[in-house]
Amino acid sequence: MSSHIHVLYFAQVAEIAGTRREEWAIDAPVQVSTWLDDVVRKHPGIEPLKQRLKVAINQYYVNHNATINPGDEVALFEPVTGG
Amino acid sequence: MITVQEHDFDAGQLIAELYNTHAGQTGAVLSFIGYVRDYDTSSETQSLVLEHYPGMCEREIQEICEHAASRWDIQAYRVVHRVGSLNRNEQIVFVGVSSAHRGEAFKAGEYIIDALKTRAPFWKREVLSDGQQFWVQQREEDAEKTASWSDPQQGKA
Repeated sequence: MSSHIHVLYFAQVAEIAGTRREEWAIDAPVQVSTWLDDVVRKHPGIEPLKQRLKVAINQYYVNHNATINPGDEVALFEPVTGG
Repeated sequence: MITVQEHDFDAGQLIAELYNTHAGQTGAVLSFIGYVRDYDTSSETQSLVLEHYPGMCEREIQEICEHAASRWDIQAYRVVHRVGSLNRNEQIVFVGVSSAHRGEAFKAGEYIIDALKTRAPFWKREVLSDGQQFWVQQREEDAEKTASWSDPQQGKA
């Protein structure tokens, strides 16, 4: 079992983080809200957006109570603006 | 069918293809085209840069269309959404629906574009002609409009 998650940042979040993709080491399943605290610690510029950020695990929207497991693809982005 | 692409589309051809899918049974084809427009009356837009999440984007739109097809009596649907850098006046998105009757086509088409705007992972970066650039924020009324489709009274045939 992989002990990493594949993190994707999009649009403004990617700009602030300065990267579009990161591999994160996690040694056990973690709640989205807990992981988000770690993201903000690593990329403090994301803090002002934190409350409205959307999270997708393996390309499906999840709420902040969901669980991230090792091997997951986790995407972080602002509310979408297509159409 | 759902397509996300950089190049432009021919709406007339897409409409013809939709009609031909069930020619003879189709009584109505509804189409919507979204265009790059000025950000507001005082800020002229030079271009939009559209970013997306490949894979999730197509899947979300597919789910939206399948939901529309289960809720309203439509025969076929077609969505084309562009990404990359688009100039003022260019086409961004095509949504088309065919049905035996216009009412079902109108409702399904409106639902698809409403839900796409608040669920499909696309993001627009606005580039104004005065040089300003910023990420567009989701409008509250768009989120409310999508939420209103959950109301069983809304859009009832």
